[in-house]
This record gives sequence, structure tokens and C-alpha cells, in this order.
Amino acid sequence: MNKVIKYSLLLLAITTSLVSCTKWIDLKPNDGIIREEFWQTKEQVQAAVNGIYSSMLGSTSGDLALPEYFFIWGEGRTDMVTPGFKASPQEYEFVNVNIQPNNNYTNWRALYQTINYCNTLIELAPAVLKNDATFTKAQLDQAVAEATTIRSLMYFYLVRTFRDVPMKLTATISDENIQPIPKTSGDSILTQMVSDLKASEAGLPYTYGNVNTDKGRVTRFTLNALLADIYLWQEKYAESATECDKIIASNRYGLVGGNNNLFNALYYQGNSSESIFELQYDANKLNPFYYMHLASTRRWGASARLMDEVFGVDILNAIPKVDARGDGCALRPSDLTIWKYVGANSYGNSMRAPDQSFAHWIFYRYADVLLMKAEAINQTGKSLEASRLVKTIRDRANAVDFNGTMDSTSKSGMEDFILQERQREFAFEGKRWYDVLRNAKRNNYAKVSYILNMAAISVPSDRQQVAFNKLRDKNSHYLPIYLYELQTNNLLVQNPFYK
Amino acid sequence: MQVNMKKILFYTLAASLLLMVFAIPACKKTDLKMSTTEDVNITGYLEKNADSFSLFKQILDRTENAAFLNAYGAYTCFAPTNSGVKKWFAKINVSSVETADINVLKDMVKFHLLTDTITTNSFKDGKLPIPTMFGQYLVTGVLFDGTNSSYSINRQALVTQSNIKVGNGIIHVLDNVLEPAKLTISKQLEANPNYSIFVQAMKETGYYDVLNTVDQDTTKRWITVLAESNKALADSGIATYAALKAKYSKTSSPLLVNDSLHMYMAYHITSGVKFLGDIISSPSHITFQPQEVLTVQLINQEVIINQNEFNGIVEKGILVNRKTSDNAATNGVWHDANAHFTVKYRAPTALYWDVSSFTEIMKLPAYYKKQSYTWTRQSEADQPFKDITWGWGSLAGTNTLTYSYSTTSSIAMYAYNNDCNVLPMGLPARPVSWTMTTPPIIKGKYKIWICYAQQKQSSSSNMLCQVAANGELLSRTMNFTETRPAGTDAELEAIGWIRYTENVTTQYAGKLVGVYEFKTTQSHKITIIPIGGGTQNNNNLDMIHFIPIDQDQILPRFRPDGTKVFL
Repeated sequence: MNKVIKYSLLLLAITTSLVSCTKWIDLKPNDGIIREEFWQTKEQVQAAVNGIYSSMLGSTSGDLALPEYFFIWGEGRTDMVTPGFKASPQEYEFVNVNIQPNNNYTNWRALYQTINYCNTLIELAPAVLKNDATFTKAQLDQAVAEATTIRSLMYFYLVRTFRDVPMKLTATISDENIQPIPKTSGDSILTQMVSDLKASEAGLPYTYGNVNTDKGRVTRFTLNALLADIYLWQEKYAESATECDKIIASNRYGLVGGNNNLFNALYYQGNSSESIFELQYDANKLNPFYYMHLASTRRWGASARLMDEVFGVDILNAIPKVDARGDGCALRPSDLTIWKYVGANSYGNSMRAPDQSFAHWIFYRYADVLLMKAEAINQTGKSLEASRLVKTIRDRANAVDFNGTMDSTSKSGMEDFILQERQREFAFEGKRWYDVLRNAKRNNYAKVSYILNMAAISVPSDRQQVAFNKLRDKNSHYLPIYLYELQTNNLLVQNPFYK
Repeated sequence: MQVNMKKILFYTLAASLLLMVFAIPACKKTDLKMSTTEDVNITGYLEKNADSFSLFKQILDRTENAAFLNAYGAYTCFAPTNSGVKKWFAKINVSSVETADINVLKDMVKFHLLTDTITTNSFKDGKLPIPTMFGQYLVTGVLFDGTNSSYSINRQALVTQSNIKVGNGIIHVLDNVLEPAKLTISKQLEANPNYSIFVQAMKETGYYDVLNTVDQDTTKRWITVLAESNKALADSGIATYAALKAKYSKTSSPLLVNDSLHMYMAYHITSGVKFLGDIISSPSHITFQPQEVLTVQLINQEVIINQNEFNGIVEKGILVNRKTSDNAATNGVWHDANAHFTVKYRAPTALYWDVSSFTEIMKLPAYYKKQSYTWTRQSEADQPFKDITWGWGSLAGTNTLTYSYSTTSSIAMYAYNNDCNVLPMGLPARPVSWTMTTPPIIKGKYKIWICYAQQKQSSSSNMLCQVAANGELLSRTMNFTETRPAGTDAELEAIGWIRYTENVTTQYAGKLVGVYEFKTTQSHKITIIPIGGGTQNNNNLDMIHFIPIDQDQILPRFRPDGTKVFL
């Protein structure tokens, strides 16, 4: 009798545990969708594409939003900004040319997160063709091309910022995919990106039939602009100019008129006729710039010398000419606020409200294409033609001739002038450091002086000599690999400058 | 029953066996850590990397430092590698650690240790913030060898690996051993034939001995010298010591403090250990010549001394040669001036200071001399002005400085350049003081006049203030709500008032706040401090006049168009 009870109890116990076990194993998450159930319909593919764009607006894992990295990487080391009184010690490291591997702003995780979203789509979307008959090959190609373009854009940022980084072109879907990857040289990554982009070009539409979508999603012109930029970095000037010409010849873009319109159209409203690709912040998703630039919580302000030495002050004309890109557009000179992201009018007297801080992050616009083309053809010896393009940009902005005029007969003179014009045109748009570095490293670092001259302005006086000698080492132009990455990926080798 | 008992026993045994099989390994696996950290200390790190640091470790052992560097603390250790130590041994003719002079080794260890944790973040153009345990400072910099840049220490060694965090501090690895300076400033200069004239002058003025002593009191030990090479002197037409002496020494002996050669030498010496990175971090340095300062500017990345503007005329300064400067000695550091310079005698000159032409407003062409503009300081830490600040007022909204411009309002229409600066002041809640840095003032005795456009915010407003020069309170008060009394110029001056504008309205008043002797020729600080219990926003400061006491205090007067009138 005892035995019967014992065994039946035992049996009961075993069965119960088995039953509960199977349930546990089969249980699906209540708050999410698993991969096998996703990737079924074209709507889901579209949702995944949207997910890529939204990952650029802000991180889902508590990391900083990408534009915050892009701003600090592109402006923090330049003569355009001064740290505000709330700047963190790590932000000061950028100003002081003293960046350590434990600096949070050297963390590239947010970019790889977006890259992984792209990789996942590129890998899993093709299978949807089988499951959803309404999903066409053309739609698939377009989704893959959009993902490829964004991925290339991310790698282009990584290469310009860190030079050699791990290149992962396959999706990390499960724990098995997590493995250490060594660095790939920046040059090889860019070569790969160029061939990826070329393969994707045909898949992308010229337009989505809607202005906001055309500016917020990757079109074929976004890809052309990105390719032109990569070619310029690779010193392939003819190819770069060809890509620019594709955009110019399309006649879909033009420069916004000068004066008040400029600030309002380009930065306050956004998605202007000049814009090619920008991150679509709106009331539901604010950009990270408001408190960064607001005077009472300022981490970054404009450099005090911009009005005198960059945009210029007209002292010759009775009615002074005023560069439309300076006062009331790029900055508010009276308190050195970076106006592009927080201003609400071009008179400099009205700011956005905190809940209206959705100025877009502009990756590419038509002015950039014209100046990229100018830079490219100037290198191939067409300085006169380049000067005409620069003049178009300057005339639109009502620019002041305050430190000499363009010398369209000299290649090096034009190179210098185009760099200056880019400084005015793209002030605080996260391009300055990359522009200076690209021009400095051209022809095997023939013009490292561009970087040194900038440091002479931006680095505090008691650190300048140290900074000059650091910046003569070209490895110092690239950020260190973040300490956490080095610890978790044992195949990574630190940039030798940060020994 | 018997059988059952046996079975129970059997099951119990089986169960406990099973338990043992599974439970015991589990127990073994819990490997409790008994230490709070596995970080090694400095000595431990050197032991762990014996192939690089065995020699330095031996030196620490022999000098009995290994134990204390293995104990709790906060140190920075510059650790030379074995090859560096070998090079050093070869240089000082030592075959091994055992045979080396123990005192030399002890000094060497002390010179490589700092009693604080210093990361490369603190490596600037100049000395580290604290001295080594040996007593001398280390100078940092960066050396570029054509392809790579490395931190250099004392121009003797390069850092090959930096910021290694260990339990009790930080290690920086060096490729060479650092050697402290052995000679004083005097001996170093004497050993260099390029400075023979300067050294001769040092000897004859008695400063050779001053610069040759190493004071045991480290607060007095350090001296900085700006030496002039023979070439710098020759460029000014002084080829020999005799020529230098003939030019300056006008008394019986250069040893006398009133001899100009003595002054010349004293003017080249300043106290404290100041590498170029330290020199440029302060706008002026007091020299051994009483009341005389060297002013410093960084122009195009060069260190320039004594470039000043007096009454609109720029006096060109003297360059300090970077490459041949920053020479550390046992009692200080010396630099190489590119040209000959000496104390300049300047007669006190009046400064009619327009306070509302400050840098920040001049950078706003849309406002400067066109319209008013108000700045708001966001917090006490926020300092938007280079030369103006004020004691924070607890009522945050009153921390505003207004550049007030008008050609029509009574406040500014007769003011110099039609503009003035306006700052709310007064206890309990508004800014409690207003401090401005003046342009350079030549040393001497001055009468100080505060020139303002009177305004009363309300009929009961009152704004009685005291003024301080360089923190010293002046004897007389002034009041922004008071108009200029009636009377002739002479009568007014006698009671401490002037009409500083061409216009005769009594609203524009210059009030004498006292006589002050500026001891040095440089920029000074003027502070206006409200003292009366009153409080108001409209304190319109137009100018401050510094007029030598023996000069005309009344004229010139000033017009709104920016010109002066002498009647």
C-alpha cells in the first residue's frame, strides 16, 4: 500500500514537472514578437525599414542619440565651438586634444546597433518573398537598398572617426552570432561600401511622391550624395564629381533664397527644397540639442571669433552686407548660442520651446553637393569652374568679402577657400572636423597645417604646444576604441596613439 | 515490516548518496573570494612584468622602497624599462644595481615618484601640478618623431605606455631614466658661453649668488629667470659687458639697488618655478625689481612679454624662444629672451576709460553704438565677460548687464559715445558688487572719478556705493542716484565733483572716490560695492577716469560723438 502511494506520488511529480517544463520551453514572450512570426508580410518588412530610421533618432538601449555623437565628433575638436559651463570633463577632453579610451563619447555602440538593424533586414527580408505574394522583388530591392545605404553611412562615420573598425555585414540575430571580430582597415571598409552602394543604386526610387518622405527616407540622391562624399574622402575626384552631377542634373533640388528665408526654411521648418536627407525629429521625438545649447544649461556654445573671423563684418558699405548664415542663423552672437538647433526666428530674439526642439539633423543638402563638386573638380584642375560653384553659394548667402576674394587661378588657394566656405555654410552641422581632416590628409598629409591652425584657435593656451605635437601624429586624428569594447572583444587592437 | 524497514533504509541511503553526488561538487564550485580586489600594487605590477622592469624593481628593493610602494597609497610612478636603466648605468659608469652608489639610486627613485595620482590628463605645456618626492618638478610635453607622437618627460624620456592603473596609483612607463638637474641657474648659465655678458652682469649686481643658492625652504627656493643671450644683446648694439655697464650703470656700483644695471638684472628675475606653460597662464608677473611687472601675452602661439597698449599706441613686445627655454635647474627655471629689454620709465598718464566699450559688445556690430543689449548671467558659475563680473545676486533675474545705447533718451543722449553700462545692484537680492578689469594703467598716484548718468528708479531709490581698487577700499563714496551739485568747475572740484560731459545737464556727474597709488604698471581691478541699504536697477556707469594727482582733473570733457573737448 505504502509502495503504491509512493510510486503514484513519484509518477505524479514527474508528470507535473514534465508538463510544466514543456510549457516553459514553448512559452513565447508576451511583450514582443519572435523572429519566426515576424518577417512574414511586406508590412513587416516596411516596419523593419522604419525601425532603422527610428534607431537613428534615438537609441532604444539608453545610449545617446546618434546626432549627439555626430555633433561632438564633428565639432568638439574644432574652432567652431567653445565648451559651455556645463560641459563634462569628457567633453573638455575633446577640446583639449586629450581624449582617453574611457571617454563615453568614443563609444560606437549606437552606430553598430543601427548597423545591426540594417544587417538583419538585408539578411531576413528576402525570405518574405516566399511568404507574402503581394511583396514584390522591386519592393524587396528597395528595402535592402535603403538598409545598405544607411549601413554605409554608419560605416562612413565610423571610418572617418575611428579609421579602422570591425566590419560586420551579417546580422547578429542570436547569441551564437556574438563573436570577437578584428578591425578592418578603413580603406577596405570604404571600398566595400562603395561597391555595396553601387549595387544598391538601381533599387532606390528618385522620389516617394511626398516631400517629407523624400527628405526623411533614403532616395537615390541620398545614395549619390553619400557616394560623392566617400569618393571625396578616398581622393577619387572624377567619380565624386560624377555623383554630384547626377543630383545637379536631376533638377529636383535648388538653393533656398537668402535672408530670412534661409534660417526659416533650412533649419526651423526643415525639409526644404535644398534638403536631400535629414533625420525627421518631430513633436513625438525631440532632438538631443535643446539643453546642450540652451544658455542656462549650456554644454556647447559658439566660438566667440565666428562673427569677426569666419562670417565677417562689412565695414566698407554704407548699408553693411550681412552673411545670412551667421548672425541669427548659425549662431546668436550676443550670447554665443548655437542658433541652428534652438532658435525660432532669424532675428535672434525668439527661441524654440523645450517641447518644440525638433530641428532636423541634416546629413546632406544641395549646398553640400555643390561644394563637394567644387572641391572635387578643383582637385582635378578646374579651379575656375569650382569658383563659380562657390560663388553661387556665396551669392545666395549674401556673403561678405572681408578677408580677400577667391583666387580662381590657384588650386591651393581655392582648396583653402572652399574649406572656409564649408565652414560658413555648414557651421555646427557636424562636418567641420571631417572637412578639415579630409583636406589635411589629402596627398599623404600634405596640409597637416589645416589641423594645426585650427588647434591654435581651439586649444587652451596652456595646452597648445602639447596639442600641436600630438596632432602631428596622424593616428591622433582618430578616436580611441572605447575601453569596454577592448575588454569584450579581445581581437581589437587599440589605435597606437593611445598607448 | 522488517522488509519495509530495510527498504526505507535503502531508499534513504540511495537518496543521501545521490545528494552527495550532486551536492558536493556544487559546494566545491563556490569559490569564495577573500580579497576585495585582485589589483596589484605598483611593486606587484613591476614584479608581474619582470622582463621589462626587473632592474627598476631591484633598485626599489635595494633602496628599500619596494615595500612602501606595495602598501596602500596614491602615487604616480614613472617606471623606466630595463633598457632605459641600462642606458643610464652606462652613462654613469655603473655595472649593476648592487655596485651602484645607494644615494644615487635613492635620488633616482625619488625623482620618479609623485605623491598623487597624475594621469596624462594633467600633462600640459609645462610642469606637473606637484613636485616629485625628490623636490624638483617634472616638465611634460609631447614629442613628434616624424610619424608618432609621445608624451615626453623632462625632455629626457618618452612615455611608452601611460595611465596603467594599479591598486595604489598610476604607472607611466618610460624608455629612459629621468635625471634631476644638478646645477643652479647661475651655474647653468655660466656653463653656457652664449650668456657670458648676462652672467657677468649677474655677478656684478650680486644676483649671481642669489641664483646660485638652493634654499632649503621650498616655498622660497624657486626662481625664474629670463636670460638674454649675447646675441640678443648684440642685436641691441651691446657687444660687451662693458657696453652694457656703460649704458646702465650710472652710480658708483651696480650692487646698489638704485643703479640701473641692478634694476635691469632684477627685472629679469621673478619668484616661483614658472615654465612657459605657467608664464602664459597669468597676465603679469611681479619681478625682483620692486613694483615692476612683466606682462605676458600669447600671440600666434608665441610667448610675448611686455607687449602693451598705452593710450592707443602698441609697444612691441619681446619674444621668448620656446626651443631654448624651459631649462630646469636645481633652484628654478630659466628662459631665453629673444631680445634685450629692461625696465621702462613711464610717467603716469591719465586714462579716460570708457567702460562701455568692452570686448563682448564690440563683437556685436549690430548693437555696438547702435542699440541696447542685455546679457543675462545664467548662474554664478556663468561668466560671459572677460573683464566684467559681479557678485551674484540671489534674485537670479537681476544678474543682467545692459549695454544701454540711445541718442534720444535722457540716460545716454549726452553720455560718451551715447552709451553706458547698466547693472542692478544692492542688498539683499541684487548683485552685491561690480568688478571691472581696467586697461593697463601706468604705476603712480591717481585720482579716480566715477562718471555716471544719474537715475532714480523710483523717487525713494538710493544707491550709495564704495569703490575699491585692487580690493582696497577708497576713501569716498559715490551714489548713482545723486546729481551733480551746482557750482563752478573749481568749486565742484574742491568738493569732489566734475562735469565730465560737454553738456551741462547735472544728470551727468563725475564723482571723486579717492586717491590711489597703483604700484605696478598693468591692468587693475575696480570694484563698486553698494553699501547704503538702497537697491535699484538703473545704475548707469559711463566712464571711469584715472587722472594723475598732479594733472588737470577737469579737462578734457567728452562728447556723445566720442571726441574730447578742452573747454
